[in-house]
Amino acid sequence: MNSALLMVLQVTVGTPQKIGAVPHGTRATAPIVGGSFEGPRLRGRVLTGGGDWTLLRSDGVLELDLRVTLETDDGALIHLASFGLRHGPPEVLAALARGETVDPASYYFRTTPRFETGHAKYAFLNRLLAVSTGDRKATGPIYTMYEAL
Amino acid sequence: MVLAAAFGGCAPTTSAKTIAVPDEKRFRMKSRPLMTLRLATAPTQNLGETPEGTRVTYPIVGGVFDGERLRGKVLSGGSDWTVQRPDGAMELDLRVTLETDDGALIYMTFTGIRDDAHAYFRTLPRFETAAPEYAFLNRLLAVGTAEIRADGPVHIIEEIV
Repeated sequence: MNSALLMVLQVTVGTPQKIGAVPHGTRATAPIVGGSFEGPRLRGRVLTGGGDWTLLRSDGVLELDLRVTLETDDGALIHLASFGLRHGPPEVLAALARGETVDPASYYFRTTPRFETGHAKYAFLNRLLAVSTGDRKATGPIYTMYEAL
Repeated sequence: MVLAAAFGGCAPTTSAKTIAVPDEKRFRMKSRPLMTLRLATAPTQNLGETPEGTRVTYPIVGGVFDGERLRGKVLSGGSDWTVQRPDGAMELDLRVTLETDDGALIYMTFTGIRDDAHAYFRTLPRFETAAPEYAFLNRLLAVGTAEIRADGPVHIIEEIV
């Protein structure tokens, strides 16, 4: 499949809100308090106020539901919503939970970002689908996003 | 290495100093074939102009799918609920049930974008099943490339690995 690098997005996560056991699994919400992004066609910062609404399913897969607002360096606002999955060997996930640095190739962390913007310069984002690979760092995830060409 | 360096011609920004670029070779978007899906549709239901755009529903009455790890038929009863946005792009929202040749049922959904002006038609399929032999489908994300042929749409679906 053909793809092109869209951006690298780094988000900073605040204190997780552990909702606990819910009918579909174990729910925790990670507030996003900032971050930055950089790519060939856009760059800027992540506004405070978003979050990643996560659900740990009974089969051990963590479902991710990220929503943030991006602000480009020229002032455009972009709504980003992405669904994702994260799973891997128990020892790797345990190391991640302890905040250790883990080789991102040792687990599956993929998301499918969608974008919405009213800014004409970035309208191309409204018309594309993307896939990202995630790398969970102690301060928050880094997503490398590719446009599906 | 910082991203600004990776894009030589791009003006560096303050944010560029803080974003490390992952090893490109290891982080490239990699995929492998999952299935080719052919859908048979009934006459479209043209709902007209709604607050969302021009809404057209494509009932799905059958079809087949085939891949190295799974193959079978598409059950009748699903649909693709589409809406043509004011900017010309069509958003897809499909739900169908797949039945494998060994009798497992798989719930498949996708959202997608079809933008004929830019020759772009891609989907993001997701799968849900209780069959242990197909549980790998619960744990993967996928991207589909679609085209419209005389006998209906064909979706080439690849697993994101």
